[in-house]
Amino acid sequence: MSDAMSRPGTLVGQRVLRVNDGKLLTGAGTFVDDLHLPGTLHAVVLRSPIAHGRLVAFDAAEALTMPGVVDVLAPEEARDATRPLRCVWLMPGQGQVDYPVVPRVVRHVGQALGVLLATSVAAAEDGAERVRMEFEELPCVVDVEAALGDAAPQLDPGCPGNVAVDLPRGDPPDAVEAAIARADHVVAMRFAIQRLAGSPLEARGVVASWSPATGELTMWSSTQVPHHARDHLAGALGLALDRVRVVAPDVGGGFGPKDHLYADEVLVCLAAMRARVPVKWIEDRREAFTATVHGREQIHEARLAFDDDGRFVALHSDVLADLGAHPSNVGAGPAFVATGMLEGPYRFDSSGGRVRGVLTNKTPAGAYRGFGMQQAAWVRERLVDEAARTLGADPAELRRRNMIRADELPYTTHTHQNYDSGDYAAALERATELVGEGLPAAPDDGRRRGVGLCSYVEFTGLGPSAVQEIVGFALGGYETAVVRVEPDGRATVLTGVSPHGQGLETSLAQLAADALGLPITDVRVVHGDTATAPYSAAGTIASRSMTVGGGAVVRAAGRLRVKILDLAGHLLEAAPGDLEIIQGVVQVRGSPTAAVPLRTVAEKAWLAWGLPPGMAPGLEEKDLHDPQDISYSYATHAAAVAVDLATGRIEIERYVVVHDCGVIVNPMIVDGQTHGGVAQGIGNALLETLVYDDVGQPRIATFHDYVLPGTGEVPDMVVEHTQTPSPFIPGGMKGMGEGGTIAPAAAIGNALANAVPEIAHLVTETPMTPARVWGWLDAAGVATDW
Amino acid sequence: MKPPPFRYHDPRTVEEALGLLAEHGDEARLLAGGQSLVPLLNLRRVRPRVLIDLNRVEGLDGVDAGAGVVRTGALARAVGVERAPAVASALPVLPEALLHVAYPQVRTRTTIGGNVAHADPAAELPAVLAAVGGDVRLRSAGGQRTLGWSAFFSGRHRTACRPDEMVVAVDFPVAEGFAYTFSELTPKLGSFAIVGACVGLSRSGDEVTGARIALCGVADTPVRLQAAEQRLTGGAVDAAALEDVRALVAGAIDPPGDLHAPGGYRSHVAGVLVVRGLRRLWGAPA
Repeated sequence: MSDAMSRPGTLVGQRVLRVNDGKLLTGAGTFVDDLHLPGTLHAVVLRSPIAHGRLVAFDAAEALTMPGVVDVLAPEEARDATRPLRCVWLMPGQGQVDYPVVPRVVRHVGQALGVLLATSVAAAEDGAERVRMEFEELPCVVDVEAALGDAAPQLDPGCPGNVAVDLPRGDPPDAVEAAIARADHVVAMRFAIQRLAGSPLEARGVVASWSPATGELTMWSSTQVPHHARDHLAGALGLALDRVRVVAPDVGGGFGPKDHLYADEVLVCLAAMRARVPVKWIEDRREAFTATVHGREQIHEARLAFDDDGRFVALHSDVLADLGAHPSNVGAGPAFVATGMLEGPYRFDSSGGRVRGVLTNKTPAGAYRGFGMQQAAWVRERLVDEAARTLGADPAELRRRNMIRADELPYTTHTHQNYDSGDYAAALERATELVGEGLPAAPDDGRRRGVGLCSYVEFTGLGPSAVQEIVGFALGGYETAVVRVEPDGRATVLTGVSPHGQGLETSLAQLAADALGLPITDVRVVHGDTATAPYSAAGTIASRSMTVGGGAVVRAAGRLRVKILDLAGHLLEAAPGDLEIIQGVVQVRGSPTAAVPLRTVAEKAWLAWGLPPGMAPGLEEKDLHDPQDISYSYATHAAAVAVDLATGRIEIERYVVVHDCGVIVNPMIVDGQTHGGVAQGIGNALLETLVYDDVGQPRIATFHDYVLPGTGEVPDMVVEHTQTPSPFIPGGMKGMGEGGTIAPAAAIGNALANAVPEIAHLVTETPMTPARVWGWLDAAGVATDW
Repeated sequence: MKPPPFRYHDPRTVEEALGLLAEHGDEARLLAGGQSLVPLLNLRRVRPRVLIDLNRVEGLDGVDAGAGVVRTGALARAVGVERAPAVASALPVLPEALLHVAYPQVRTRTTIGGNVAHADPAAELPAVLAAVGGDVRLRSAGGQRTLGWSAFFSGRHRTACRPDEMVVAVDFPVAEGFAYTFSELTPKLGSFAIVGACVGLSRSGDEVTGARIALCGVADTPVRLQAAEQRLTGGAVDAAALEDVRALVAGAIDPPGDLHAPGGYRSHVAGVLVVRGLRRLWGAPA
């Protein structure tokens, strides 16, 4: 344990070991599947085996005769008992704004239709095999461009042409076109970004328990958003909010897809209410590939216009977002953000885009770490490198020339992002330096080598509620913290954010411990239970927990400190301004003999005897923090790659991240989040893709089919930080959970194009698997025989 | 993901296991390391009525490297073979190839017999067995027989092992003077090969006196490339030979495509791996 662990007042900025790792690393965590309530039945969610069709017959009679099978909740019964789930982020003119818990017409393989309950998982799966469902199949459409065709099957009456959303972004189209027309050069490219699965280590899962006596429903859920899930669950089942409790126990990752309540979770709760015993449902991995929202899939027709001198003139992208079967809770949100953050760290005379959200017969697409910003970075940064190639310019120099300078901040982009603070060029400079350092002399092994950059600005800390209102994202943007010093002098922090691997149990405690003069071991963070946690509309999504939630802790703990000093001053007959709190003892600064333990102060406060006139009892403060504005983190990533011209295999030989997320509370956690984000970004760049056949059947069932990065694919990386405090967040933090994922595809793609310029014009699709890259090499005539 | 119901037996002797096989035949599956079978059971892609767990059977886990052959008992764990010094000195390509089989954690369970009997078209060991011209030793309650690798592997996840038979040992002959190398291209470290190549050469000075080339991942079974082997024998591994070999490899196979790579790419990469293997073994730039 480092010195910092025991010295108060200095925990922010320290690599404090995570307080819950002991439990997790010894297998003592409590995840949903670790809950064993007496009498629990096990659920299988009955799902559509086809991509598009009307359910015309459902027969569970044989299933109900199977050993252990207890009940089957049929589609018709579930439909009668539930209300549709509403989409949370609604774009203007969005053609579908909610979706039924159980549809009459299924729109994707894996769509939930009912639930079977049995005394064991095995019995439930045996029973589910005997449930007969007949469908009148309808023609389906799998490809987003085909969905726009005249002959395409129409999926929703509210979305003619399968277009759910069609929105202009940024400057008026005429203005962007005029700017493009004025420029000396235009690079125009079509980019296709694949469909991905968020792939948390723990898939989704629910334990539902209904108390007929009190009319209370409790749902333990592997979720990022307990309050949000509670609100939607109560709404779907027609229950009062105070009768529904949602608990997120230990949660094994989320990455976005666990940001809302799912139809199958409603069904499991409904089945538990009918069975009047607890019901457990644990999503298996094959199921997760079709039942949990996907991410990323977009096509960008994009143009970067620039002058002979390298000055960027205009940027535009026409985006087709494949929303899947229906708009998810966030619908076309990722495409909205992709166009919103397209400009990145650069100046343009004009910039804009068009977003079309299109329905197809695939699993709905939702939030996934990066939320559109990965697509923005890939599109913009590839265009920037191709502009440099056109001009014969150095890509780093071209970036530098067009970057918004530190002295130009704050700066408002054409999509109304108010960039706050930082020095974008400094990150670029340092990353460019670092990527060249320590690279071994390239062996003469026949491979080509190249270096690529990706600079981006990241929208974090969603967000002022007023901004949420403007963009139609129906989630309050605030967070609440309650900080309490208990009668024994230890502190409890209640937070509305819901950690699921980020280490907030530690980093929020660091903030409170510093304010209260306590060692980290004396601060406990309580979260994840709607019965105890303060209300949180948005939860742990969008890189907001440390900014919005942490800001609330900073303010509540700060106010509590003031009260502690006031009361201690009263007890010590000293001026509060002369006091400090060291290791749980309040003392006169420089005079440690005049001291009172915090425990004594707390006892007095909670006993409420002899308080100063006007002081309220207790030591507890609550802060509801609606941030003043968005916080913008930024980074430059640099990748050095070697490309095998005979196989198309890309090896990452060096990877550098220079990153600024404002004040860093725990550098170890921030580094870890960055490493993990880059790993997912490498999956995005080189490995992962969800594939459907032309009748909408997923070809991905296991991690044999869906290739996640492992230790062999993720190189050691260099991560450096600068710290430009957020001007808007108490504590100065900016968000960073998503940052790592945003840049790798662009950095690696640019490195590939740098290594093999003959194929630069083809580097437009991910994942850049060996087979795909070899296809490019072969098409350009640079593939070698061996 | 739970398997459908099955009856479970855990015999202690080979004879007992063979008796169960004789009784249940093709309704039974043998459980060895379980690294392929258990996922298949859980995915309900195989649905045996009877599972015969071999893990408590005595005497099937020997590893013997002597007398011109590395003989591994069917239940020898991959990690044990991979780390056995006698194997490393007799047939170093065996541990070299085993390092490509999944991950160390998996290899502590994987058995040599199970890996071979599972007959995955992309698996590494069958290609090594093909390259060295190995044999699979089978037993049933009625007797025993030995099949050469080409007779044993009959299709994708199919072998000539009868329902009442089990693999008891796998023989990897050690041919005097041969050096081998194994390489593969995979979607990620530890996954099944897109293509794998086991290449062996013996030489006398600048003349190849014998060549053995086997591939996995390009057909339903491992493939020996005899035409390429013949082209190499009697000459040097020079640029002309490599070019011919590359063409002969491409001509000998017609791999199917899958999620990870189209067939044409597999065919090309097979040539790349074979040529690179030959160059590595030959040592001199060609």
